[in-house]
Amino acid sequence: MLQLKQICKTFSPKTVNEHKALQQIDLTIHKGDFVTVVGSNGAGKSTLFNVICGNFFPDQGTILLDGKNITWMAEHKRASFIGRVFQDPMRGTAPNLTIEENLALAYSRSKRGPLHFALNKKDTAMFQESLAQYKMGLEDRMKTKVGLLSGGQRQVVTLLMCTLVPPKLLLLDEHTAALDPAASEKIMQITKEIVARHQLTTMMITHNLNAALQTGNRTIMMDSGKLILDISGKEREQLSLQDLLALYSSKSNKAFDNDRMLLT
Amino acid sequence: MVMLLGSLQLGILYGMLALGIYITFRIMNVPDLTAEGSFTLGLALSAVLTIQGHPLLGLAAALPAGAAAGMVTGLLHTKLGIHPILSGILTMSGLYSVNLLAMGNSSNLSLINSTTIFKMASNLLPFLDKDIVKLLVALLFTAACTILLILFFKTHAGLCIRATGDNEAMVRASSIPVDQTKLSALALSNGIIALTGALIAQYQSFADINSGVGILVVGLASVIISEVLLNRRTLSGSLLAVLVGSIIYRFIIALATKYTFLPAYGLKLVSACIVALALALPALKKSLALRTARKEAQAYAAAETNL
Repeated sequence: MLQLKQICKTFSPKTVNEHKALQQIDLTIHKGDFVTVVGSNGAGKSTLFNVICGNFFPDQGTILLDGKNITWMAEHKRASFIGRVFQDPMRGTAPNLTIEENLALAYSRSKRGPLHFALNKKDTAMFQESLAQYKMGLEDRMKTKVGLLSGGQRQVVTLLMCTLVPPKLLLLDEHTAALDPAASEKIMQITKEIVARHQLTTMMITHNLNAALQTGNRTIMMDSGKLILDISGKEREQLSLQDLLALYSSKSNKAFDNDRMLLT
Repeated sequence: MVMLLGSLQLGILYGMLALGIYITFRIMNVPDLTAEGSFTLGLALSAVLTIQGHPLLGLAAALPAGAAAGMVTGLLHTKLGIHPILSGILTMSGLYSVNLLAMGNSSNLSLINSTTIFKMASNLLPFLDKDIVKLLVALLFTAACTILLILFFKTHAGLCIRATGDNEAMVRASSIPVDQTKLSALALSNGIIALTGALIAQYQSFADINSGVGILVVGLASVIISEVLLNRRTLSGSLLAVLVGSIIYRFIIALATKYTFLPAYGLKLVSACIVALALALPALKKSLALRTARKEAQAYAAAETNL
């Protein structure tokens, strides 16, 4: 499915600020995997996502998706088969467009010609039905501008936009971190539903170690631009939060530096 | 009455210009200075072709020429990474030479002895007053342009343009090439603006190389008047409101000059002041509200201590 081979990325090379964000990353993700990605701040998690999405290109290495080399493919082209939800609810939606217009924009991904009407009854009904499943009352507010919605509601719209046409790969970049605990839980639950329904191959960055162990079927841990842990199956099921922290300390020779991870 | 009719004609004609400026200024969120050059480009082409006896061709040529000018700005911005406002300024400056070239190196042309589209329409409708015919021609073009724009912004391409101005990252993430939407928005906007210039040349039977100076502010003033005075929720409503704004702007100008509040050369200053004031309005409102709130809080605190 997704294969990363020897991916390296260095920011500001040959200066005092040189930062090796990714060092020789080798990672293979199988179809239908739901991988949670953990690691302290600056470990390279988001850089990894940026390289996969094409925000910037790696200095070295290859990215294969379904056997096709996408290392140098333009960002907007990859976006037709890679969906991404960000931490910031403002990033995934256009605030001055209505809910239905936002969804239509994502749905019509060059499906029809550019001069066809963006909205039609059939699609709108389908959007409404899809939104209704999540019981947030959004289905009755199709003509509301997205800028008027709460963060949680916007994330639901973003999630739906990314998955209306099921992508080959879904990347979730701490997509619940900016929400209050109740909304965060709700979005997590919706995420699991969506992933299960379309059997999406998913990678999710989280700072919540409990969520990381309870969600999905595989967990990888990053530190200083390296993959330091990759667990799945039985081994992962038996792992407790304390074990994970202990593993982190032993692998990286330092204690986990982020209180947020321990407290949530 | 003459003043009323004249302002109405101008208001409707320049309404198209305001629509073009609305696309860049409000929808794309970038004030595009190319407008000043592309307006004159349309004006110059139309004047030259009208003198040679092809007034319709003059109008038809303005649209693609303006669109091309917009594309130049777009390419400078998207492909070469030049700041959008600076890209517009560069194109505008370059167009000054192109416009002079088009006008055969003379800074003004008279179309008094040529057949313009307005004269053609008058000949077709001899039973109508000339000014009424002018109004009808202006209305025809502006109405057609507005309807097409309203329809266009309901299509997928139109929606992409609106979304690009709103949240570029999201458009890219929806697998839409942002560079293309920016280019098409600039081409569309400048095409319309050049067409306005072409009509104005034939309307006033006169073309001057400096006609475009300050035209951006004229368009912005119309857009802003429409936003201050009219309540609009949808984009279609906003586009119609912009036309009304343009007509109101022309009335304000006509009144100001008629009652000689100020000499004719003061117009640009007045327009600039209107725009500056309207743009400053949100900030002024905010600081006023803050002052009132602070005063109330202080009064409340004083009352508390006195108790």
